[in-house]
Amino acid sequence: MTKNIVTTFLLLLTIQVYGQQKGSVLIKNGTLLTITDGVKEKTDILVKEGKISKIGVDLKVPSGIKVIDATDMHVMPGIIDAHSHIGLDAINEATSPVTAEVFTGDAVNPLDVSIYRALAGGVTISHAMHGSANAIGGQSETIKHRYGTIDPDEMKMSNAPRTIKFALGENPTRVHGSGNGILPRTRMGVEEVFRSSFSQARQYMKKWDKYNAEKKQKGFKGMSPRYDLRLETLADILKGEIIIHCHSYRADEIYMLMNVSRDFGIKRLVFQHVNEGFKVAPELAEFGAMASVFSDWWAYKFEVYYSTAYNATILARNGVVTSINSDSGELIRHLYHEAAKTQKYGGLSDVEALSMITLNPAKQLGIDDRVGSLEVGKEADIAIFKNHPLSIYAIPMITLVDGIIEFDLENDADDMRIYVDPEEKIEVTLAVSDHETDRCMQDTDFLFKQ
Amino acid sequence: MEELISIHYRKFRTVLFLLFLFPLSSWAQDVDLAPVTGTYAIHNVIIKKAPGVTVESGTVVIKDGVISAVGKNIIIPADAHIIQADSMYLYAGFISGLSHTGIPTPKEDKKEKVKDPGNPPPDRAGIQPQRKVNTMLDPRDKSISNLRKIGFTSAHVVPHGGMLPGQGALILLTGNSPDQMIYKNEFSLFSQLKGAQRMYPSTVIGVMAKYRDLYGKAVQSKGYQLRYNSNPQGMIRPEKLAVEEAFYSVIDKKIPVTFVAEKVLDIQRVLTLQSELGFSLMLAEIKQGWDLTTKLKNADAKVFLSLDLPEVKEEKEDSSALNTSKKKTAVDLEKEALEKRKKEAIQQSYGQPAIFKNNSISFGFSTMEAKTSAIQSTLRKFLDYGMTEDDLLAALTTHPARLLGVSNVMGTIDPGKIANLFISDRSYFQEGAHVKYVFVDGTLYSYDQKKEKKTETEEKVKVGGNWSYSSETPDGTVTGKIKVKESEGGYEGTISNSFSGQTKDLSDISVEGNQWMFSFKLNIEGNEVTIEFNVAIEEDMFEGTMSAGEFGSFEVEGQKDPEDK
Amino acid sequence: MNHIAKIAVVILFTCSIGSVNAQNAKGKKGTFALTNATLETITNGTVSKGSLLISEGKIKAIGTSVSVPDGAEIIDCSGLTIYPGMIDGGTRLGLTEVGSDARTRDFSEIGDVIPQVQALTAINPNSVLIPVTRVSGVTTSLSVPSGGLFSGTAALVHLHGYTPNQMYAGFKGVVLNFPSTGRRGRFDRRTDEEIKKASDKSLKNLKDTWAKVVEYHKIDSAIKAAASKEQLDYYPEMEVLLPVLRGETPLLLEVNTAKDIQAALDWVENKNLRVVFTGVSEGWRMAKELAEAKVPVITGPVLSRPTRDYDRYDRPYANAGIMHEAGVKVAIRTSGAENVRNLPYNAGFAATYGMGKEEALKAITIVPAEIFGLQNEIGSLETGKIANIVVTDGDIFETKTQVKHVFINGWQIPMESRHTKLYDEFLERSPGLKK
Repeated sequence: MTKNIVTTFLLLLTIQVYGQQKGSVLIKNGTLLTITDGVKEKTDILVKEGKISKIGVDLKVPSGIKVIDATDMHVMPGIIDAHSHIGLDAINEATSPVTAEVFTGDAVNPLDVSIYRALAGGVTISHAMHGSANAIGGQSETIKHRYGTIDPDEMKMSNAPRTIKFALGENPTRVHGSGNGILPRTRMGVEEVFRSSFSQARQYMKKWDKYNAEKKQKGFKGMSPRYDLRLETLADILKGEIIIHCHSYRADEIYMLMNVSRDFGIKRLVFQHVNEGFKVAPELAEFGAMASVFSDWWAYKFEVYYSTAYNATILARNGVVTSINSDSGELIRHLYHEAAKTQKYGGLSDVEALSMITLNPAKQLGIDDRVGSLEVGKEADIAIFKNHPLSIYAIPMITLVDGIIEFDLENDADDMRIYVDPEEKIEVTLAVSDHETDRCMQDTDFLFKQ
Repeated sequence: MEELISIHYRKFRTVLFLLFLFPLSSWAQDVDLAPVTGTYAIHNVIIKKAPGVTVESGTVVIKDGVISAVGKNIIIPADAHIIQADSMYLYAGFISGLSHTGIPTPKEDKKEKVKDPGNPPPDRAGIQPQRKVNTMLDPRDKSISNLRKIGFTSAHVVPHGGMLPGQGALILLTGNSPDQMIYKNEFSLFSQLKGAQRMYPSTVIGVMAKYRDLYGKAVQSKGYQLRYNSNPQGMIRPEKLAVEEAFYSVIDKKIPVTFVAEKVLDIQRVLTLQSELGFSLMLAEIKQGWDLTTKLKNADAKVFLSLDLPEVKEEKEDSSALNTSKKKTAVDLEKEALEKRKKEAIQQSYGQPAIFKNNSISFGFSTMEAKTSAIQSTLRKFLDYGMTEDDLLAALTTHPARLLGVSNVMGTIDPGKIANLFISDRSYFQEGAHVKYVFVDGTLYSYDQKKEKKTETEEKVKVGGNWSYSSETPDGTVTGKIKVKESEGGYEGTISNSFSGQTKDLSDISVEGNQWMFSFKLNIEGNEVTIEFNVAIEEDMFEGTMSAGEFGSFEVEGQKDPEDK
Repeated sequence: MNHIAKIAVVILFTCSIGSVNAQNAKGKKGTFALTNATLETITNGTVSKGSLLISEGKIKAIGTSVSVPDGAEIIDCSGLTIYPGMIDGGTRLGLTEVGSDARTRDFSEIGDVIPQVQALTAINPNSVLIPVTRVSGVTTSLSVPSGGLFSGTAALVHLHGYTPNQMYAGFKGVVLNFPSTGRRGRFDRRTDEEIKKASDKSLKNLKDTWAKVVEYHKIDSAIKAAASKEQLDYYPEMEVLLPVLRGETPLLLEVNTAKDIQAALDWVENKNLRVVFTGVSEGWRMAKELAEAKVPVITGPVLSRPTRDYDRYDRPYANAGIMHEAGVKVAIRTSGAENVRNLPYNAGFAATYGMGKEEALKAITIVPAEIFGLQNEIGSLETGKIANIVVTDGDIFETKTQVKHVFINGWQIPMESRHTKLYDEFLERSPGLKK
């Protein structure tokens, strides 16, 4: 008996995997939806060491390489979600209106089965964002869905640009103004938070410049400005090193942040949700701000009551780089269907619709040179569908990240958890809650208790 | 039950018996007679000198708290008190890698709401790295004798609190004052990835950011302080910053940062901080580290594994069910697969020490979360999962001694080392083994099993008296008093709580064996909620759960207040 | 019609177009002939190049040889497909307006046993959500109250009309939230024991309540049998539950986890109720039992996450199909409010993941009609049925398909809503960038 336990146990030991894996594979004879180079029927993709190395007809099968037969299948770039909170253990550090120094990368949870479920919807990259409780929230991590590892670092998309979450409107004013009686309680206050924070950061940068210049002088006796991680981060925004992703709904507040950004020389601006973005679409286009929207969510709170599901189309038609996001562990499983709604609401073309979940979110995350389309040299994040992905009858069959098969409908087990709670009660289940909770505001409930 | 051997036992038997009826903490104070000799000889004992080194029927001599002789054919000094330990086993005292032993859970008073939750006073946010345990240690705290009773003689102890509760100390599990107990103060900087309640930093992302910020500030102010100290003339006088100064010896790598990190992700988060900031790291209470051995090795972390393990349900071998010809439904198959994974998960927990051993990581154990009474059987269980007795002994003695930097004075039974030893009536890791005598720093504690049995079989514990309790809830630590008195064959009483300040009557008070249950009603946000207590009493401490309906259930612990007389 | 009157009508008509509508343009009643269409009749197969005649709110004629009467407005439906209006078997439509604003939420009343509170009373006929829903082809919705044990009485409404009575579609059911052993959400932190305790308490509450209903029934029967003059005391909840016990009023029993489904099956056994299980998210685990008990099911949302971490990722998609396969009568709902318009996509996912197109379409048309006992009035294209009609330019499940016309009770519905109006206004904003 004892021996048995030990041997089964030793078998378990061999599972340890380290290092980001890169795969090689030949995907044969698929219908390629390349995004940047049209649709290619009966075409092959050769993936080597995690990168797309060749696209062409009747490619030779290199020896020892795995072949995926994609006959009658649609092959598209891995879907990218520019707004998600899956794979995170903490979302909101909701205690202060400004928390630029916090970083969701610290809370990445590679064990979250939601990641696998996103893969089962063809999603290979998600933007694991801080929540929207604070006017200036935390920095966010861009994760690749390399499910199966226990190492948070392996989930991170190395060298992806830094991003930070901002938030406007009801959430920050409710949490801090109504909840704690501190600024901001109004949209006026939200602007004030931005302006004062950036001004402080400017001052901080100047002090350091002065100090760094003077300290080289002989006999220098001065004291350095006090190190402050929050101001360091804000300074990096002013230097253009961090892309702002701002939770926003109403047109006026979207307009406000563009003004503030202009005044502080900030250029990289992506609005999230942007339910009333359509009202200031020309201004967004002129600024070069991008928009990441819901396909059809509205009316769940007052600031989204005057919404339209045609938002994405209006934005796109006005020249705004627009993506469709999930902000939900449920929606992320069928973003291909959410993108198709832009065809119902405004009649976008297939390429336009698919761009909203591939190349456009890649642009918004600053990773469009690496992913977002099927092109030689790009990373082999690929989703293979039975039926066209914009069709209601689409079924994601295989999803690859860096050339590694991460989801395979034919071969995967039902139970895809990585770790199991040894004390779990198997009988107790999770009833479906009436409505999807707004994950954006997770971890903030306690603020409203008293 | 334990008592100091120096007492003339018989004379005091009656007194002891009477005392036994009263809370034990009041009893310990009364024993202040000094031993008549500081020399002891343990005779004819099987000496487990060190892991793998055994001396059959040897003798150990202790003089004034130090081991003076070990071996066969040792001449017993004339002034020695002789302990005849025929066929018993002598071990070096166990060392706990991390715990709160001797440090009572602080009673939290109802505090004013912080005005700006984004910028709370450091102590409210759990940032108190300047605190030291000598102000907190209570030599009478039951956790000390409970741990000692199972063979532990020293422990690395740290304060309770938030992300930076204070500095740890290495203590000996004996002494009448904190100073007597402390072997080495300012021993480590204790840290946790634990957020503050309703204020910054409240989440793991907040805590990690704050940690980086504080560390960066400390590095900076330390640099300035150094420049200032070398030539202050013309320089702005640096501010006195207690919080940052507490980091100075960490930055100098004079002391390690000790992090509690149980789960696989938290451990890696701590490793992230370490690799960014560069401190030396001690990791304790590891419960889920089996996949991280390489990472831990690369980080050169000192590792203490948790002794708090999931319960193993002994399964009934039901062969008839297995061979039944009845076709299994999908639901049956699913359930089987799930049970299998669950079983594997339990095996992984118990197999963790062996994995660490096989990956040549020398580790110790920490006892912070473990129920003391379960430790011995947990250790025994490891023998089924790839550990040997010597492996276990090393993890309890030599390894922690080395990891804590005290190999020269602790960890083995060798002349010159501190007399931290214990005697077990049979091999410690065997079923039914009992610790008979424990020496800590030369002070002898002896245990009478029969009497202990008696308390165990005593039908019902008495719960009358005043108790203090505390419980961690999502809204913060709640504390309060439970006042109970006997009345007409039962009990009646009240309970207070630090959240609302309300005092409520208890109802349904019942005691079964050492299980104590009662309930009371509380008004939470206009709703009447029934709170149910269900705790197990061990001497004058209790542990258990407090359930508050849909608000959830929380662990609660408490202890009896000393009776004022 | 004399000349002046004609002018007045013209003026009125142009005004209603030109003025800023507080709500929507008016619906139009009349005789409509939809010609040259593909007809998806549901109950009688597909008819190509057919016509459908709407008159006096009903489907007057249908087929390939329909004669169009004089004065009928002919709508050429070449290349278009006609479906019966879709029926959502469970929503909050009309009972909520702005999700986060309690002042606009009317679906959950205080009290555990309040079957007497009526959803129909609180349905707001002028909700902005309603036009948004109907222009996507959902013509009929069961608005369901929630919370407590007996939450209230749900009502089926057509999505056109200015008073609840105008909208009422002829079905009401009492809602029972069957005691649940599942967690309420991912952040429900109760221990397993606490959940069990709460569930047991709720179950006891149900049993106690039911015992009272049984007693009330006995007394009522006795009084009636003896033609006695005694009167029953005023118990509003009993008055509503009595017909439930007698199988006259349907009981909508909300239940989700496998264990609870079993418990609910045990509870309804031998009670001879007219019961419908709703929710039933783990129905796939209990498909055989549900089929054997012949309990109809309204399940959804299909677009939802698996209930357990270890469940296969596509269980919610496949759930309806698995139950159907086992022989359960399955209708599909969204459980939504503002996005009830996604009903065809919920059915579409069910179709894709095992249920098949035909059955999935039935699950939002004739099957709910049957469950509601309205199979002679709605749910298919048949002569004599209420003219709830949707005309599309393609497969109604396909996301890109456009709904071209909607008729509810024979009223031609203006194809506009807040969403379309904002689109019209802002696609090319004027002024644009410059003032």
